[in-house]
Amino acid sequence: MTVSRSCRWQNSFRVRGSLAALAGLACQPALAADVMDTLQVHGFISQAWLISDDNDFFGPSSESGGSYQYTELGANLSFRPHPDVLVAAQVLSRRTGGGASDLQPVLDHGVIDYEWLSNNERRLGVQLGRFKNPFGFYNQTRDVAFTRPSILLPQSIYFERTRSLALASDGLSIYGEEYLDSGTLRLQAGVGNPQADRDLDDALGLGGRPGSFDGETSYIGQLLYEHEAGHVTAALSAADVEADYRNGDPGPGNGTFHFQPWVLSLQYTDELWSLTAEYALRRIALEGFSDPRGNFDINGESWYLQYTRRFQDDWQWLLRYDVLTNDRDDPSGTRFETAGAGPAYTRYAKDLTTGIQWRLHPQVLLAAEYHAIEGTGWLPASDSDASPEKYWNLFLMQASFRF
Amino acid sequence: MLARVLTPTGRGHPAWLAKLICGVLAIALLGHAIAALAADEEVVMIANPQLAIDAIPRDTARAIFAMRQRTTPNGEAIHVMVLPDDHPVHARFAKGLLDVYPHQLRLAWDRMVFSGTGQAPERVASQAEMLQQVATTPGGLGYIERGYLDDSVQVLPLAE
Repeated sequence: MTVSRSCRWQNSFRVRGSLAALAGLACQPALAADVMDTLQVHGFISQAWLISDDNDFFGPSSESGGSYQYTELGANLSFRPHPDVLVAAQVLSRRTGGGASDLQPVLDHGVIDYEWLSNNERRLGVQLGRFKNPFGFYNQTRDVAFTRPSILLPQSIYFERTRSLALASDGLSIYGEEYLDSGTLRLQAGVGNPQADRDLDDALGLGGRPGSFDGETSYIGQLLYEHEAGHVTAALSAADVEADYRNGDPGPGNGTFHFQPWVLSLQYTDELWSLTAEYALRRIALEGFSDPRGNFDINGESWYLQYTRRFQDDWQWLLRYDVLTNDRDDPSGTRFETAGAGPAYTRYAKDLTTGIQWRLHPQVLLAAEYHAIEGTGWLPASDSDASPEKYWNLFLMQASFRF
Repeated sequence: MLARVLTPTGRGHPAWLAKLICGVLAIALLGHAIAALAADEEVVMIANPQLAIDAIPRDTARAIFAMRQRTTPNGEAIHVMVLPDDHPVHARFAKGLLDVYPHQLRLAWDRMVFSGTGQAPERVASQAEMLQQVATTPGGLGYIERGYLDDSVQVLPLAE
């Protein structure tokens, strides 16, 4: 017996939303077994080893033994209490160079998803809870090695520095999909409060100061078009993210952080190769602090071009060039250096990457990659020492398992 | 043996004619056998016999197997079954019927499973298991080679 049949009466309540559907759990004892049939549990674990000639990235990578401090662990659970309702949650535990205490699990996402329309022309639904922000091609699953083309995502766009803000929001998101003759158009738009963790304090030079950031009401949206069967995919993502700095007295005082990125994403996929490019324009501003030296308003720019080639069924080779500019008005960082704020090369990064992935089993992925980097624009604030090197090389290996 | 039947001894038919007829027949028979074999290997979509669903457009089939569309147009839950990623029939189904590559489907499922936007399809090990599971699971939807078909499931054609 299908869930929908045993619970037909619910259809009249559909517009009342997911809570009505959840209440429908009790409509028939047999249904509990049907719901259990929809239960899925998945997870992943990834462990990397990194070594660099200069500059520490994710732990003491520039020391002789390299760093093992890049670990990702996740587990999720999902079920359908009703055919139109999905309940899903995932906990994530992630260490990137911090102490072992960073492995403490956090709620990565936790949503009730209600799809109120699904037919041959379109579908429409809403997610309530902590939803993953649709941002570029990779943000929603950026911590899952199996969905990444490389061990490190292009850092110009998926950087660590203000990662917490980009991850997920607590609020409401709507999604829609239109099946057109030429392809599929998808829209996702959300409003909610982002996470604002310590990475933000560190990135903005406020680490160790008395206050802290709190996510404020923020907006995010993505329009994505898949031509025909997804051989060509184009997406435009935009966000207006805000976080308030509070309890900053005595010290820097209180202020507001704005993060307004736009990302244009393009991908062509063939059976054996893909070409991917993303371009991002990003306004970052800090305002309201009583000390004007604490305030700024700059536009950053990022782009990358990536070629992946599949061969022998289980292998994939990647070549990528990735460029970050922290301030479009000062792309080489010379004005920054002239002003005595620090070396010019801390304001940009150019990363040439080549890597290889081997799926030796559907559940096991092994990867290795090499980065030749100029500049330290995306080096996490917590990892950078007082005088990072301008030119540096980074080599990583990673083993991942999923279920 | 066929040639002997066609050319009784002592009659006036020349041997080359018998050989020609024999050759043509053999080719025709072989061709028929190959066609039958090809028909047996054709991959078709199958559904649980209780599922009220007609021919569906390719876009819809793709959305269903990508696990984005999870109900039929009239609201019945669909339970999608797939063969392992590296099964040759899976690749032929994905490329031939859905016009997507298996690696695209895999990525689509992983992205949904790990972002809280959907669930993974149920994996079955073989075509025999596929047939049995689709036949006995409410809302069951899958695919097999025509040669494995029996009347425990309905064949779901693509709408033109």
